[in-house]
Amino acid sequence: MKYLVTDDSKLARLSLIKSLKSLVGEVEIFQATNGQEAVDLVKSEKPDIAFLDLTMPVLDGYGALPLMLEAYPKLKVVVVSADIQERAKTMVIELGAQLHVQKPINADKMQEILDIL
Amino acid sequence: MSAITLTEDEQDVLQELMNVAYGNATAVVADMLDAFASLSIPNIKIMQTHELLQEFQSLKGSSYFFSTQAFVGEFSGESAFFIDDESAKNLATHLELESEEDLDDAILELTNVLTSSLTTRLAQEMDTEVKFSLPSISKIPLSEISHNKTFEQYSQVIVIDTQLNFQDQKINGEIFILTKDGSIEWLKNQLNKILEALM
Repeated sequence: MKYLVTDDSKLARLSLIKSLKSLVGEVEIFQATNGQEAVDLVKSEKPDIAFLDLTMPVLDGYGALPLMLEAYPKLKVVVVSADIQERAKTMVIELGAQLHVQKPINADKMQEILDIL
Repeated sequence: MSAITLTEDEQDVLQELMNVAYGNATAVVADMLDAFASLSIPNIKIMQTHELLQEFQSLKGSSYFFSTQAFVGEFSGESAFFIDDESAKNLATHLELESEEDLDDAILELTNVLTSSLTTRLAQEMDTEVKFSLPSISKIPLSEISHNKTFEQYSQVIVIDTQLNFQDQKINGEIFILTKDGSIEWLKNQLNKILEALM
């Protein structure tokens, strides 16, 4: 399995990767710091699962999500965001995300995500 | 007091904690106003108080409502919220308020809900608690900001500045979290503890 973690915050990426590795061990994980990098990495690496933040510079998660799915339709996208407004959740699901999860992610939350996927 | 700086990593951690706290606070306010807010990336700066006051003064171009709420604990400081005149009018329209008194009341309540949920969550992320002092909120005319006694308690401040933006309703505000001198070192320690736990 290949994973992509997209967040402009190093803390957010490190903390998510730590939770992920605690459950799935050493796997191939790519990191992107904005939506455009994520789209490029989806095109070149074709990851199975992508974790995607919403509020980011260059290209935000709302803009990146459809482009990522267009580039690789089999991709499963989990939006990980501090934006917990109902409309934000509905919008990302309509755009094709599998899940919307509130930040920050810990191992318990990660287990739930992997179980659902 | 010597000038304090934040390393790139400390700044990143604080920005991310603020992002989480702000997302939480915005959801509460969005529910209260039955509206959807777009979130922006928080901007973090360390400033001398006189620079901050200059920044506040530069907002004078339009008339603004300004309210503050102090918080105390290991993490002590003050949150300040600005909302411009046009946004305040749009808020009144959105909430169908008729009198000026009702609008003042709505702005103070918005400040209270926004800043208290923001600060509470930010403190929670840093493993501490804050208490809000009473009277916690006052509306201060922008022209009198520099005379506000609360700013005398700060020499330099960590300013966390973020926008509140309800696009459909055309309501924009700006929030500053000011950290007291004595809390800056504590804050740096907490940020590094969080970082170390991930390494």
